[in-house]
Amino acid sequence: MANELLFFMEVLVGGLLAGTMYSLVALGFVLIFKASATFNFSQGAMVFFSVLAFCGFMQDFNIPFVLAFILAALLMVVVGLCTERLVLRPLMNASEDTVLMATIGLGYVLEGLAQAAWGVEVRRLDLGIGDFPVPWIADNLKLFISALDITAGLVAAIMIIGLFLLFKYTKIGLGLRAVADDAGAASSIGIPLKHIMLLVWSAAGVVALVAGCMWGARAGVQFALVDLALKALPVLIIGGFSSIPGAIIGGLIIGAVEKILEVYIGPFFGGAIEGWAPYVLAIFFLLYRPEGLFGEKIIRRV
Amino acid sequence: MSDNSVNILDIKNIEVMYDNVILALHDVSLKVPKGKVVALLGANGAGKSTTLKAVSTMLASERGKVTKGSIDYDGNSIEKQNPSQMVGLGMVQVLEGRRCFGHLTVEENIISGAYSRKLSKGDIDQELEKIYTYFLRLKERRKSQAAFTSGGEQQMIAVARAMMAKPKMLLLDEPTMGLAPQLVAEIFNIVKELNQKEGVSILLAEQNTNIALKNSDYGYIIETGKVMLEGTAESLLNNDKVKELYLGISKKGRKNFRDVLKEESLNKKIN
Repeated sequence: MANELLFFMEVLVGGLLAGTMYSLVALGFVLIFKASATFNFSQGAMVFFSVLAFCGFMQDFNIPFVLAFILAALLMVVVGLCTERLVLRPLMNASEDTVLMATIGLGYVLEGLAQAAWGVEVRRLDLGIGDFPVPWIADNLKLFISALDITAGLVAAIMIIGLFLLFKYTKIGLGLRAVADDAGAASSIGIPLKHIMLLVWSAAGVVALVAGCMWGARAGVQFALVDLALKALPVLIIGGFSSIPGAIIGGLIIGAVEKILEVYIGPFFGGAIEGWAPYVLAIFFLLYRPEGLFGEKIIRRV
Repeated sequence: MSDNSVNILDIKNIEVMYDNVILALHDVSLKVPKGKVVALLGANGAGKSTTLKAVSTMLASERGKVTKGSIDYDGNSIEKQNPSQMVGLGMVQVLEGRRCFGHLTVEENIISGAYSRKLSKGDIDQELEKIYTYFLRLKERRKSQAAFTSGGEQQMIAVARAMMAKPKMLLLDEPTMGLAPQLVAEIFNIVKELNQKEGVSILLAEQNTNIALKNSDYGYIIETGKVMLEGTAESLLNNDKVKELYLGISKKGRKNFRDVLKEESLNKKIN
């Protein structure tokens, strides 16, 4: 009996920690959704682009780990800059749908650029953190939990705290929230939209890099990372598109639910329900709570 | 040159087009003398908002363009400016429909108005306290989410937010839209106070001709994108045409719907 409980705990904790990996990807979407009110289809490509560049710097140019990370982060700022200048600014007065389509195009451009620059083969990314159970936890708590999962959890926690502080207590954070509410009114009181857009897209790029490092270390740096970002969609539907805590909690829920369902209900379906169970959950949310758990409710005065 | 020192805003014969086809303003000229309140009056679609947006350079974000004429603010052409530069120069527009940041608190809304200024935390607090002396109501509600405040409070937030940018000139677009008469009076009192105590010049677009003229120094009436009539507020209030068309009073003393009904019922009784 105790063993069964222990096993359940292990599945749950493993799921929750794996979920933080989804949260990291979802964070990037939320940032851009807040400022541009659009779903950024190129987020997956940004993940792929950034981590491939990071690997490329390290492996092709023998740049040390930390420096390569900084370079990759700077590269994402440049990508943000170019996106703002070449895509968003010309579409400033276009509808949200137009911007949405533009992000799909941007995604293809980034995928193409990444592969043109660094090649198409799968690269191994070694962060120096193994994807195997931590011995200390295995010995003392009898839980087998991957060190990479724990790292991802910590990184996600640090990022959410950092972003929360940025939004709540800094001037630029206030500007960002103002733009998210009403871009026209924000510009009427002198908040420069282009600075906010630049900040948000750069931040989303750096978040993509972090998410890419985590996923790349687990699954290899490869093209499949682009599609993996789509796993963030149910996370966002559950957490709410405009909420940073929502992205984190949504990720945790998806991670835990998909692992638990896989282990306990999966056998009845012949296994591999992990792939689609989150989407079923998302459909229920769309039916009964379309703004998600933490999404900003559409406030209507009556 | 002396003209510039007197008028903070000088619009000369502007024509505005939307989408390169829709002609919204034909020929609008107006002046706002420094430290004065000027009312821009007219019905829906007359071109009031378009005129204000031409001045604040917010037309571009609605695919509008000034195609003829010139706009000088504080002695310089505004042609090459964008909205955030205009705010930097001291010209702030309060958009039609209040447009508060609904998810931010009242106080965050007001502070956001100081975004373009480089102020320390202490300076901001000081400015806030000063602003609250004009908007006492908002001080009580400083921690509420703006979307849950009343229409009148939201209008005050919008004006207070604009004041945080320390404007030399305010453009107010229908500040009393949809407000109860008592609130309309309250808003105008605040506007008047800001004008007198802070020395802010004001260009005010309104449909409520009567109260707007009573609180202004000068007025312009525009119809279908053209200035039809202009004059001191007093002369417009006493102008027969204005009385008939905009204030609902004719020489006979009736043009008002209620009066028409009253007369009809009187006629019935006689018959």
